[in-house]
Amino acid sequence: MTALARRAGPVLLLLLLWQLAATATGGQFLLAGPAEVAAWLSDNPGLVGRALSVTLASAAWGFLAGNLAAILLVAAAMLWPPVLGLLTGLALIVFCLPLIATGPILRVMMGPGDGPQVVLAALAVYYTTLIPLLAGLRAVPSAWIDLVACLGRGHLAQLVHVRARAALPYLVAGMQIAAPAAFLGAMVGEFTGAERGMGVLTVRFIRDLNTAALWSLASIAALVSIAVYLGVGAAGRFLRLERPPVILAPPRLPQGSAGRRLGRAVLLAGATLVLWWGGMEALGLNPFFAKRPPDLFAALFLAPDAGATWQALLQAAAQTAVFVLPGYLAGLALGTGLAVALSLVPALSGLVTPLAIALRSVPVVTTAPLVVLLLGQGALGTIALVALMVFFPTFVACQHGLQQAPGQILDILRSHGAGRVPQMRHVRLPAMLPAFFASARMGVPAAILAVTVVEWLATGRGLGNLMTLSASLSDYTMLWLTVVLVTLASVLCHGGVAWIERRVLRLYAPEQVEG
Amino acid sequence: MTFDRMNRRDFLGATAGLAASAGLRAQAAWAQVPVALQLSWLHSVQFAGSYIALDRGWWREAGLEVSLLQGGPNAPVEPPVVAGNALVGISAADYAAAAVAQGAPFRIIGVAMQKNPFVIASLADNPIASPADLPGKRIGMAVSNTPVLQALCSLNGVDIAAVQIVPTQYSAQPLVAGQVDGLLCWETDLPVAMAIQGIEAHTMLMADHGYALQSQTYVATVDSLATRRKELVALMAGEARGWDACRADTDAAAELTVRMFPDAGMDLPTQQLQARRQVPLMFSDLTDAHGFGWWTDETVEENIRILSLLGRTVTRDLWDRSILEDVHAG
Repeated sequence: MTALARRAGPVLLLLLLWQLAATATGGQFLLAGPAEVAAWLSDNPGLVGRALSVTLASAAWGFLAGNLAAILLVAAAMLWPPVLGLLTGLALIVFCLPLIATGPILRVMMGPGDGPQVVLAALAVYYTTLIPLLAGLRAVPSAWIDLVACLGRGHLAQLVHVRARAALPYLVAGMQIAAPAAFLGAMVGEFTGAERGMGVLTVRFIRDLNTAALWSLASIAALVSIAVYLGVGAAGRFLRLERPPVILAPPRLPQGSAGRRLGRAVLLAGATLVLWWGGMEALGLNPFFAKRPPDLFAALFLAPDAGATWQALLQAAAQTAVFVLPGYLAGLALGTGLAVALSLVPALSGLVTPLAIALRSVPVVTTAPLVVLLLGQGALGTIALVALMVFFPTFVACQHGLQQAPGQILDILRSHGAGRVPQMRHVRLPAMLPAFFASARMGVPAAILAVTVVEWLATGRGLGNLMTLSASLSDYTMLWLTVVLVTLASVLCHGGVAWIERRVLRLYAPEQVEG
Repeated sequence: MTFDRMNRRDFLGATAGLAASAGLRAQAAWAQVPVALQLSWLHSVQFAGSYIALDRGWWREAGLEVSLLQGGPNAPVEPPVVAGNALVGISAADYAAAAVAQGAPFRIIGVAMQKNPFVIASLADNPIASPADLPGKRIGMAVSNTPVLQALCSLNGVDIAAVQIVPTQYSAQPLVAGQVDGLLCWETDLPVAMAIQGIEAHTMLMADHGYALQSQTYVATVDSLATRRKELVALMAGEARGWDACRADTDAAAELTVRMFPDAGMDLPTQQLQARRQVPLMFSDLTDAHGFGWWTDETVEENIRILSLLGRTVTRDLWDRSILEDVHAG
């Protein structure tokens, strides 16, 4: 009974705060409270049920396909390590492709139906599974690997018996991050012309000024995400019989001379160009909207209006950068800070975790007007929305990272009477660093994705606006140029985070870098 | 005739009739030519004429199996027509002109919205009744629509620099909440939503102040015009007949729309009001004289002038009336 009360208390508090906020902003068509939401849902159960089943099906197929793709990619890379760099590079590039641009192209290629929704859901999840999984597969006690080698077994045995098992907690973390992302991906996919689903209804109700219906959809999306998050977590606890016993093996970070790094970059760029150009030719995509590399080269360097093209691109990029950098950093700080705070004061978890998932899974289209009203049309609102999108993966990854602290070392500290704070400083934080940096890398495309969506839907500035404007004016050359620019920027920032990671780990956790 | 009085022979006869008509249908289906019409937005009475034509089997009778491809906030409209996935697309004159500038081989073959539906919506206690009221006002709009406001201002001698443009999501919420004084939107969407919520908005139709740009235009490729004339004529004939029926009974058109798409979250009063407000934009003395979708050399000249204000240079070749001439000749 008291346990039930402890769990129900925070939820009731959240509902009360929500109702108060709705009452305070009443008459502005911004926010509907739980009472209105419940009333609307009980009036329209069939409509919501059908929409939910459609979107849930797309999200589930996308979730399955995306996670399977991530697992297969990682397994391939583990069995044949030389392709690891190329595979993760290509995976990153595909993940960075802005969905505002890929959505309509998928629709033209796949025609009416669920295709684009499923693909966008899969694209939204595979990378957030891939990166923790890679971290996890490397986070293996090196003695176990030596044991496998001593027994004369190869990569496959190492993968099946040692690495896969060690990677399980990381896979669970990845899937927990992926669950709301899949749902959002499916909803955004519906914006490309789907007949039914939660995304279609969201667009309808925004125009109809139907606040109760809009927040009902958002509440359902949040509840589904919370349920899946908790379900995946429970499944993970069921599978994970013991905590990681000893200190982590060194993750193999990309090393090598400047020349070799340059070689890798050239190889990746070449493979991308081949896949891009070759893929378009193989699929016979119409050059009206499927621009090839030479089209972009001509627009940038040969066309008479190349100067104007450069100016439009750079101006939009500058407008976006101003928002995305502070938002990204704020999101990282918020996610890490919250994970650390919950680890120090676990009692807060019941209140904070559902709120965190809800904030992440309520679609930006629903929250954007509220945040913009609270924080203004200017920088603050956009930065807050970007931070909101970045903080959740960081929060989840850091929580898992904090739990990776070796139990024996914690026992030693406890036996010396060290409190929670010294435990945090000396053991948990260093143990969290690989997970933190993994989430910082994942956060780069997420932040750029977030800022372009906010620019598209709310502020009408920067690259997100340039993309939608170009698409509506059939200026597909400009659209593809922004795709290349956004992707390139994401990949470079990603590289920058990896560079910082090497230096930080060398200082604070040298055993994870050298060896 | 109640069921228990229906005897066995009647029943058999009815079944045979059903079987015969099924056979006929199968034969007709064999002769059907599949064509797609790419809509520019989510299903709503905005496309009611198409639903009526589909529902009453007018296209089927003409040998067409028409599928209506829904649009959306991030849906491609022009590419499916260029790529041939859709025979006809619904675009506006400015978007069609932009696509042509990018190499799309488009022709406008019909004009559904004779009057441009863009309005400046404002609240009754702070109305924007004419372009002269614009200076000093905060106008909420998608930044991408700046050229539209720019064109309105130059047509009416208003300095656009004196108007404060506020980028907003496409929703009436910022106006209702007092964040802006006016909204650049369609007569048939946000003001309708406000009216249904009990907020009466004042709307200034931009078409009444010189903004004569055609909207909801039907576009097809030059190639289709050369090789698929028969299908184009049949498709447009169904559209014309469907829209005439919609005009005759807008409430019935709204009911059909809501019934055909039960999962689209449409509200009947909203759709009825939208249908009532859009019909006056679609029909004029010109269409009464010549038929649905019509235009003349004068309206083309006017559109070329407005397009040049929007920064688009087009020639008269963009318009091809031959399909409509066939439709309305018979």
